[in-house]
Amino acid sequence: MMVQVKSRNAWVIWASLIFALLLSVAPMPQFMEVGRPLWLAMFLSYWALALPHRIGLIGAWCLGLVEDVLFGSLLGLNAMILTLIIFLVLSLQRRLQMFPMWQQSLVLLVVFGLAQLVQLWLNALTGSRPPTLAFVLPALISALLWPWLFAILRGLQRRFAVY
Amino acid sequence: MFSSCQTRVAAIKLLFAQGPSLGARLPVLVVLSAVLMVVDARFEILQPLRTQAGVITEPAYRLARLPLTLWEAAVLQFSSRSELIAENEKLKAEALLLQGRLQKLATLTEQNVRLRELLNSAALLDERVLVTELIGVDPNPFTHRILIDKGERDGVFIGQPVLDARGLMGQVVEVMPYTARVLLLTDSNHSIPVQVNRNGLRAIAAGSGNAERLELRHVADTADIKEGDLLVSSGMGLRFPAGYPVATVSEVVQDSGQPFAIVRALPTAALNRSRYMLLVFTDERTPEQRATEAAEAQEAADREAGAQTPAELPGASAAAERENP
Repeated sequence: MMVQVKSRNAWVIWASLIFALLLSVAPMPQFMEVGRPLWLAMFLSYWALALPHRIGLIGAWCLGLVEDVLFGSLLGLNAMILTLIIFLVLSLQRRLQMFPMWQQSLVLLVVFGLAQLVQLWLNALTGSRPPTLAFVLPALISALLWPWLFAILRGLQRRFAVY
Repeated sequence: MFSSCQTRVAAIKLLFAQGPSLGARLPVLVVLSAVLMVVDARFEILQPLRTQAGVITEPAYRLARLPLTLWEAAVLQFSSRSELIAENEKLKAEALLLQGRLQKLATLTEQNVRLRELLNSAALLDERVLVTELIGVDPNPFTHRILIDKGERDGVFIGQPVLDARGLMGQVVEVMPYTARVLLLTDSNHSIPVQVNRNGLRAIAAGSGNAERLELRHVADTADIKEGDLLVSSGMGLRFPAGYPVATVSEVVQDSGQPFAIVRALPTAALNRSRYMLLVFTDERTPEQRATEAAEAQEAADREAGAQTPAELPGASAAAERENP
């Protein structure tokens, strides 16, 4: 049976997701572009872990479409990847919540790495293949940033009592 | 205190909340994405939707750029007077230099027009251009695309050439209401027909994915091409206007083990530094139409010239011969 709980301060979630979208297109120095963290995936993963009833696959898919429009990539490319990430995070959610921080980061490294791999395949299908192994770098940097992002978002969630 | 207690109660309730199973939704969404991708890649149906959704792009990129813009504005505000004076001096010197060149250009243009008249070729019309500003760079480092602040409302169209002060930069690949996306010459998906300015040798310059390098495809080992040659657009393929500088040859490797010479070139445009660019509106008429209209214009001009000073045309031709022996 589905327990209905009225959402509270859901705007914090949406504001943080929009902020993540902006971060993902923010200008960066050329040499750092290669390692741009997967901001939207990280923010979404946090909310999926903390409030699994608020973030669903459909929400992730829609946000992925927005990302596609912003990046000008094939419609559905980022949508598919974000859906996969959130699927993995949601299905591992109970376990991930018990893990210490470094273990969470490690699991997320694998999840983001898989997502980057799928993205590489899809890009190869459309003909633009990155020439190097650098495509895993964003996953690595995202995993390294995860503990800090987790702390910040947890603070936000506590501060505004979002659930 | 109360709120945290409430949160906890809700959390406990939610521990047992279960929506529709994840496993059922995932395949549906994945298949939906795959279908979307195929449709977007192969058909034009989604194009209007993309165009409309593109409205959000410009505010998003501008907003994301806001801290940088503010920083630049602050720097400008507080940059010292002496710096401004120095910059002013430099600009004045540059303006003088450009004016000097412009004077030369005027005589050259005149000469060009006269020669063209003699050749009875298409009337030389200056191509219409529109100045545009860079507002964003593609976040994916493996594609070389940029976002500019002119779109459908300004008449930008797909395939439109974009240049900066030094040469061709690329072409428009996606048009949104107020913005457009430009694929740069160096993207690994981009190629442009060029010719060597010195001798007219034709080749295809393909992007390499490296912002500082183009590669010339299928150039014969014995072809007359050497380091320092200027490559200009040849106008073949009817996409880019002819005669704009594209790159200078930086390296020619003649390896007898390879079927073709390896030729690398450096783009003349400042692909990753230019902030302001020009959108070129080329003539939409076909070459035949242009030739016909040019011929009619020429006839009219001849009649007029014949009515006023009958001896003008031979004089012009003599002058042209003197200038161009």
